[in-house]
Amino acid sequence: MEIANLPISPSHRAKLLSAGYTTFSSLSAVSPSQLARDLNIALQEASDILKVVSDITRSESLHGGNAILKGAQTAWDMLSEEQMQKRITTGCDDLDTILGGGIHCKEVTEVGGVPGIGKTQLGIQLAVNVQIPVEYGGLGGKAVYIDTEGSFMVERAYQVAEGCIMDTLDKFGHHRKVILDCQEQMQPNSFLANIFYFRICSYTEQIAVINYLQKFLAEQKDVKIIIIDSVTFHFRQDFDDLALRTRVLCGMSLKLMELTKTYNLAVVLLNQVTTKFTEGSFQLTLALGDSWSHACTNRVILYWNGNERHAYIDKSPSLRSASAPFSVTSKGIRNATSQCKRVRMM
Amino acid sequence: MLDPHPTSFLSQRRLENGKDAMVPIKPESPLNLPTQKLSLGCPVLDRLVRGGLPVGSVTELAGESGTGKSQICLQLLLAALRPPSLGGLSAASLYIHSEFPFPLRRLRRLLTPFAPSSVVPTPLDHIFVRPAHSPDDLLSLLTAVDALLARPPSALPVRLLVVDSIAALFRSEFDNTPADLKRRSSLFFKIAAKLKEQARRFEAVVVVTNQVVDVVGGSESYGSSGNAIRVGNYGSLWSSGRRVCPALGLSWANCINTRIFLSRSDDIVRNERALVDEESDDRVHGTVVRTRRKMEMVFAPHLPEASCEFVIVSEGVFGVEAQSEKSETPSPTSQI
Repeated sequence: MEIANLPISPSHRAKLLSAGYTTFSSLSAVSPSQLARDLNIALQEASDILKVVSDITRSESLHGGNAILKGAQTAWDMLSEEQMQKRITTGCDDLDTILGGGIHCKEVTEVGGVPGIGKTQLGIQLAVNVQIPVEYGGLGGKAVYIDTEGSFMVERAYQVAEGCIMDTLDKFGHHRKVILDCQEQMQPNSFLANIFYFRICSYTEQIAVINYLQKFLAEQKDVKIIIIDSVTFHFRQDFDDLALRTRVLCGMSLKLMELTKTYNLAVVLLNQVTTKFTEGSFQLTLALGDSWSHACTNRVILYWNGNERHAYIDKSPSLRSASAPFSVTSKGIRNATSQCKRVRMM
Repeated sequence: MLDPHPTSFLSQRRLENGKDAMVPIKPESPLNLPTQKLSLGCPVLDRLVRGGLPVGSVTELAGESGTGKSQICLQLLLAALRPPSLGGLSAASLYIHSEFPFPLRRLRRLLTPFAPSSVVPTPLDHIFVRPAHSPDDLLSLLTAVDALLARPPSALPVRLLVVDSIAALFRSEFDNTPADLKRRSSLFFKIAAKLKEQARRFEAVVVVTNQVVDVVGGSESYGSSGNAIRVGNYGSLWSSGRRVCPALGLSWANCINTRIFLSRSDDIVRNERALVDEESDDRVHGTVVRTRRKMEMVFAPHLPEASCEFVIVSEGVFGVEAQSEKSETPSPTSQI
């Protein structure tokens, strides 16, 4: 806003401009008495003008500082906001380290790997871990689990919830008061009840559910993570027109990106691997093609290294390339058992 | 034609009365999901898979010929007829076969041990058998199966679907060229999506069998060419002294929920043990060839890495308790 648009009398505006007060900042340091002298007006009038100016300045800074657009933020505000954010722990310390503390809210993270490497296990683990109460250092949120493959097993989710509760209580064993406060929450059944489960049998249903989430999340503000296991399955059939597939997928990823920002939640997409025919040989690569690889903020690849499971940050704007071992135990995702060669930075 | 932006939040589901209807998509609570399991018909094997094969998901049995895939399938057909108190589903079943004439005599021999008339009056009335000749044939058959599942011709609902074997259908028709492989994997995903939809909609157990291929070029490293990519809990799988891996490649492995590997190895022993496989009871120059059979959990969303030896005798397929002190039940920290 400029002086010329200031909601004060036109004569005062003219006097301000002719006295050399052309910007808001020139008015910020001036005292009412000095302004009254400069403009040759009454003291009361001068302090009224300054009050109007300071009101406007304050309300503008509330809506994003010097923003020229409503809804925009300065990088400084974003940084402090991000530092306040909690991460969703994966259950494995090394994996959390290379992820910068865990899975970030407001970001779309893609996780890929061969069958049996532990993608679904990680998905179930995150759906459980997001529910660790705030008193125990968690987010105390709920989870949306979109199952396209039928791999979500209730008995496994129950085991993982049990394991998570046991380990969380162990860690906070000395705070008896906290334990009593959260006794009801810290039951495997209530963990399961806080997972909203959608079973999808076609890609049209998948798109419909993602469209529906907009409405659903407006009612369920507690949801802190959306897991799609896997984003790929229904898009690997029936698509002869690959350009169409790309358009549909891009639309979907834009919607998900928007959801993460609007509702401050994390989106985790599980993806399959496929062999790609390049330069006469077959290479392993994540499915859905090259244009899809731009759709996610972070990309994590799970792979076998000898007999150990490893995770590798393949793409991220803020994390550096690194790999870390993890293991899948009866309790869920945990640290790799061998203590040697921990995190390897590259 | 595809509408990339469906305006309504509706999805097509089959209602109880067998009619298709558009119902709103709603989240479910995991606490209300079906968790029933179908027993394999042997307590030892059931312990390996924690009670049986789960409804609503696709389980693959992979193994070379003669490892007992079809035997287990036949046993499942009969086990499904039993009431839930005996590990069954009180359900009829559909057996789609592509390999050989349906082994009716073998099935009849299994009737007495698994579905005695005291438990199930007319078991063979509830087992539907249909051959499939090509992948496209299977796909159109599965579409027609919707009607069978929604309106079962017998008194019992059909809740077990067996495809024996999926690999035989795909063996001949496709070349090893990128275009053919792409067409092939698109068919895999279509068939798998249909099977999974049926498993989910009708709370059915789906079992497919798969063959194995020899592993050529032995490198295990990530991104290596050929078929040596490690899938699941085991760095390598062995059967009859050869290194093998389940057929149909990585795309098909993405299509199934659980993979169980069956293998055999022939040992020549002098003394006959108490439990000897009757099928291969060849006596050559005073020695006995004993076939050791093994069932290994390659991957499963709900099960840890585990394995178990088993035998095939005239009464069926049975697991053998581990003889040594290390038990089959995993310790709390064991790897999955």
